[in-house]
Amino acid sequence: MDHLPDTGGTPPIHSSYECDPELRDLVIHFVDELDQRVETIRSAFLSEDAAALQRISHQLKGAAGGYGFDSIGDSAARLEYDLLTDEAMISDLTERVEDLINNCRAAVRPADS
Amino acid sequence: MRPRVLAIDDSDLVHRLLRARLRHERIDLHSVYTADEGIAAAKELQPEVILLDIDLEDLDGFEVLARLKADPSTRDIAVIFVSASNETMDRVRGLDLGAVDFVGKPFDVGELKARVRSALRMQRLVKMLAQRAQLDGLTGLWNRAYLDDRLEAETASAIRYGNPLSLVLCDLDRFKNLNDTYGHPFGDEVLERTAAILGSGRSPDVACRYGGEEFALIVPGTDLQETIEVADRHRVRISEIQWPERPGVHVSASFGVADLSCISGTPTPEKLIMVADQALYRAKNSGRNQVVGADVQIWPRSATG
Repeated sequence: MDHLPDTGGTPPIHSSYECDPELRDLVIHFVDELDQRVETIRSAFLSEDAAALQRISHQLKGAAGGYGFDSIGDSAARLEYDLLTDEAMISDLTERVEDLINNCRAAVRPADS
Repeated sequence: MRPRVLAIDDSDLVHRLLRARLRHERIDLHSVYTADEGIAAAKELQPEVILLDIDLEDLDGFEVLARLKADPSTRDIAVIFVSASNETMDRVRGLDLGAVDFVGKPFDVGELKARVRSALRMQRLVKMLAQRAQLDGLTGLWNRAYLDDRLEAETASAIRYGNPLSLVLCDLDRFKNLNDTYGHPFGDEVLERTAAILGSGRSPDVACRYGGEEFALIVPGTDLQETIEVADRHRVRISEIQWPERPGVHVSASFGVADLSCISGTPTPEKLIMVADQALYRAKNSGRNQVVGADVQIWPRSATG
């Protein structure tokens, strides 16, 4: 059996544009880059780099929906919102960060055409 | 040339998406990532439409919008702002600052395309209206209002860069007689044919209808001597127009030419028009159907001069 990423129980998410010929290649590219983004989120979180965490959640908030992954966009928006508004320490945002990482990992790469 | 659309957004993900979604639109899409780049590109590129992300990293998008609207060179560009925010207040604020429209993130493809098209359409109409107001209705040449604006800009630029600049004034000979003898419709035809000749000259030359039967030609980058030759070619072509339905009719025009070296003191558009007009007056007095150049001023003048 293939190695499946640990998504913390989040079911696989398919892009709503998976079958859109105009966007298919871009969606593949987007999913391929998600691993790298997850790494960035993880290390920003671990080093408590709020600016980096805010930057990447901001980007995902604005773009993920455009690639057909609304749940990633929503989860990024929640994290960004908390980062911008809460007085809380980054370490208090564990749940939000895990939620975003799980959503990213659950994204399914469309099969190559 | 295809209309230019400038996208200002800090995210590469968004640029890729826009590029894919707008690929089949007949536009040239340019992408920049920061507010500073965006403002510079807007000036440089003069796009028809800007897609502006409201949450940029380096500067608030509303601030970018305000700066674009405050600068005369970018003021008339149609700005559509793009925002992930669903706040009504944000949308109201953007529209109040002068944006023509907004698109929410994530993009709905159909909506995005429709809004870009609609902004381009409006932009074209606005441009057309602005141009209409500066065109002469009968001849299709630029009108007096445009001449004044353009001559001022060309004079400033010629002085700054040390380039020559000439002005030709052209007046149809005995036009009132033609009108009285053959009627106004014929007079109009004479004006149109003359305008067609003056308007089909070299591409940097700007032909305007200056008054009733008077025309002006702004001739950038060209000195007096060369412009006299340009004017004379127009003179010959006008005198060679055939009027098969009016046998015996002969139409001609007189020309006065001046360049910046014919002006004493600091050159201004008004002085340039004045010396060209004096030359035109001499052309009329010396028998019409000819080109007369203004005298070149020599500075400093000799004490006896």
